[in-house]
Amino acid sequence: MTTVKLEPSAEWKGYEKALLRFFFIYFIIQTIPLDWKYYKGLFSINWLDVRYGDIFFISRYFPGITSATGSFTDWIIIAVIAATGAFIWSKRKKSDTDYSILYYWLRTLLRYRLAIGIIGYGFIKFFPLQAPFPSISNLNTSYGDFTDWKIFSLSLGIVPGYETFLGGIELLAGILLFFRRTASVGALIVLVFTGNVFISNLAYEGGEYVYSFYLISLALFIFAYDAQRIYNLVALGKPTVPNLFKPTFPGWQENTRIVLKSALIFFFVFVYGFKTYKGYKNDPYQFPKAKGLKGASGIYNVSEFRINNKTFPYSVTDRTRWKDVVFEKWATISIRSNRPVILDSTNYEQVSRKDSDRNYELAGSGGRHYYSYTADTVNHTLILRNKNRNYADEKLVLHYSRPDSATILLSGINESRDSVFVLLTKIDKKYPIKLGRRGRLKL
Amino acid sequence: MGHTENIHGNTAAKWSVGKKIAFRIAFAFFLLVSIPLSSGWYKNLFAIDWLNPHYRDIYDIARYGTNLPPILFGSGRPNIADGEGQERPGQPKQKHDKKDVLKKAGAGPAKKDSNKAGPGRDSEQQRSRSWLSDYSSWGNALAIAVIIGLIWTLLDRKRPSYNVLYYWLTVIVRFRAAIGIIGFGYTKLFPTQMPFPSLGLLNTDFGDFTAQKIYWLSVGIVPWYQVFGGIVEITAGALLFFRKTATFGAILLIGALGDITFVNYAYDGGVHVYAFYFVLLGSFVIAADVPRLYNLLILERYTVPQFYYPDYSKPVYKYPRIALKGLAVFIFFGVLTYTEVINFKYDPYKQPSTAGVKILRGNYNVTEFKINGQLIPYSPLDTIRWKEATFEKWTTLTFRINRPVVVDPSNGGGSPMRDIQRTFEIAGTAGGQRAFHYYADTIDHVLYLQDKNALASGRTAFGGGREETESPKKQKEPDNWISAAAWKNIGDENRMLDKRAWSTRRDREFARPERDIKRARLILKYNTIDGNRVILTGINENKDSLYVVLDKVDRKYVLPESALHAGKY
Repeated sequence: MTTVKLEPSAEWKGYEKALLRFFFIYFIIQTIPLDWKYYKGLFSINWLDVRYGDIFFISRYFPGITSATGSFTDWIIIAVIAATGAFIWSKRKKSDTDYSILYYWLRTLLRYRLAIGIIGYGFIKFFPLQAPFPSISNLNTSYGDFTDWKIFSLSLGIVPGYETFLGGIELLAGILLFFRRTASVGALIVLVFTGNVFISNLAYEGGEYVYSFYLISLALFIFAYDAQRIYNLVALGKPTVPNLFKPTFPGWQENTRIVLKSALIFFFVFVYGFKTYKGYKNDPYQFPKAKGLKGASGIYNVSEFRINNKTFPYSVTDRTRWKDVVFEKWATISIRSNRPVILDSTNYEQVSRKDSDRNYELAGSGGRHYYSYTADTVNHTLILRNKNRNYADEKLVLHYSRPDSATILLSGINESRDSVFVLLTKIDKKYPIKLGRRGRLKL
Repeated sequence: MGHTENIHGNTAAKWSVGKKIAFRIAFAFFLLVSIPLSSGWYKNLFAIDWLNPHYRDIYDIARYGTNLPPILFGSGRPNIADGEGQERPGQPKQKHDKKDVLKKAGAGPAKKDSNKAGPGRDSEQQRSRSWLSDYSSWGNALAIAVIIGLIWTLLDRKRPSYNVLYYWLTVIVRFRAAIGIIGFGYTKLFPTQMPFPSLGLLNTDFGDFTAQKIYWLSVGIVPWYQVFGGIVEITAGALLFFRKTATFGAILLIGALGDITFVNYAYDGGVHVYAFYFVLLGSFVIAADVPRLYNLLILERYTVPQFYYPDYSKPVYKYPRIALKGLAVFIFFGVLTYTEVINFKYDPYKQPSTAGVKILRGNYNVTEFKINGQLIPYSPLDTIRWKEATFEKWTTLTFRINRPVVVDPSNGGGSPMRDIQRTFEIAGTAGGQRAFHYYADTIDHVLYLQDKNALASGRTAFGGGREETESPKKQKEPDNWISAAAWKNIGDENRMLDKRAWSTRRDREFARPERDIKRARLILKYNTIDGNRVILTGINENKDSLYVVLDKVDRKYVLPESALHAGKY
């Protein structure tokens, strides 16, 4: 640590030193990747073809001791370790540790950690990927058939411009955190923004309340550096001394610093930004990539329904009959019926590469059963597999024919190995979200 | 106000000419936008019965935007989609618009092309209006302010600085912002601004709502989050009351209301101008501190703040200050808390206040449906038969028909007292969803139903005005679709809610005759033993006879319901 030359050395009180020792150990454990699961993830990345999902994964490190999604119990464990460590540290014979330098390096570390974390989420909102526009199936599901977290995401999804704005705020905060002088402003933005995210996670039963609070804890530590000064100037209206600690790096160290900093910013801002943009254009991660049956996307009324040649007339109460069927633009079919759905719930962010892992469209949604399908367009056969892991064995093999663009005939074997015949008629469905409410809406 | 009162003594003694001119204009501008200028505001204020207050009495003190005559910029067309809090355009302009509409409607077939272009232009106008011309009253305020500022400059050229005036202007702006945001915040702290979705809304498909509705509902499903939003807004307001904390309050205000402004643009919530108004006021409050913070944090320089602060130990300042602050705290924390609690508990303003018939409440399948004795079997495509029905906790029957109706595009807000005008449960909702308010004669088991969406009842005219701005029609013969005997059984709607929620404001509104609006009406006799099967018989709006068998369904929702319920039903 001789690289830093301290200008006017500040006096450190005993309790300040004790606090800093504690926080030093505490935040080192919280931010330096020590978790083997993280390295497992790192090594599975194809470094010759890094995808935005990989960078998102890198940006989202936190130690998971007792739980893979993070828990406050882990924080207590880490705090106990830090308190013990700080105690032992204080008992060591007098060292010439310069606490100002220690503080500087800890704050620098946390600044970068927080910047990366907040930018990780910033770009997938800036290019509205995190909450995509609702699928046709989602639009045609009763409001009460969603979990609150799903509604949160769908409600954000209908306004991509607003999502971009939110992402922009996160990016701004992240970039301000890369620089010492603007770090407190960046941290303040994180406190307000991520504070809201944290409360939203609690209210909507989202799965990221620990992680969002983790980012808040970093922001608090960073902001605390200037809090006293700001209070003195703004609230008390007194003349205020600025931060006087300015690190100076001699010779090659300055060059190294600039190279490292530039590389980091280049990777997490430019490379990640570019990759996310490409992903937004070519492969939004929430919905499957495989294309659906050409020209079929839409919602269809089930005009006729037979099982083992027995006709089921329209009925509000029947549990077997399908009510309506949605063909998405991608290879997903969803069927609304009275058959209950055991929910498939994911309420935290993961960027999945494989279509089979992309369950956003059915996560937290009842009312419909979702099937991924493969189409054999030569023999006109669809093989449907239930996407919900609670119904993983369900498979339907259906022959299809399309006498005209508004009609689809399906016949084959359903999940209980009964023969099924279905006549689907396209509904010309219009959505107020797409029409706006300023003109006359007759729907 | 002499300089002797200046206890800090470190204010800038001499301002530059440009700064002085800018200040004079800013002074006039912020005064114009901070002080209530509409007569309606004063009427409300003097009409308040402080012994029987209603939350809306206080809310209306806190809620006013900029109201100036269209000196330079005319206001855009009034639009029913604009929410509460959005200032209304001036009356003369509105009349002019109506004439325009009439002209257009009367245009002969020869002008077909220009006629065709009409609506397109209109919608374009509306779109551009929502971005810039919505702020026309600010433009007018600025125009007036520039004139005042220039005259002032001519008359008062010699004055070296305006430190004292600047302080007092900040005080006015701070208090204006604080009171306004506290009024807003309280309807969230006691979550009534965004109600939890009713059964009819829960049964509606996500894609059948307008964007505005989706946002309001998404907050409504999490009352605790709404409470949090209220706490943020009220905290910002409380911090603005005090000089030492004002900047922190203003930063919070700018963050929260800046977000709400964006939300209103994104979801077309219609309250963007009023939300941005607070961003403007907040920006003025922090204006002096921003360069100081920049100097301290970014430039890392020793910073000496300069400002004027009166010596409040002098009796001239001390007692008025204590009195005014005390009054503000009493009204906006004391009275407002009391009235909001009452509103939340007994009369949530976006939900009907009258409890529905207990035995009927719930979700129903429509098992049988006959019209004029003819049985109509269930089909999702049928355009007459009801698909499903709900009796809400309050006096509303909803059902869904596969027939398009004109959607009520409003926010479902405002401050109506009559249950039929509380339309949140149907506003912004498509998909053939219908909602009917009923008066229940529980002795003869008859429901007198009226369509809550007046637009859905075949009223073809749609344009300009909200219901309340419509010109009163000629006096018609008294409406006696409900007999005097039945009224006796129904009772007085004004008195049907908990006694604690009675108020003078409510009495006054019920004393005025109901607005004459053509609504679809049904008169249905209900017959049920335990509510599991309900048979409705009667006539619909076309005098067709109806026979409907409803069977209760225990519908399990995925959406968890909060323990925090507004209203008492």
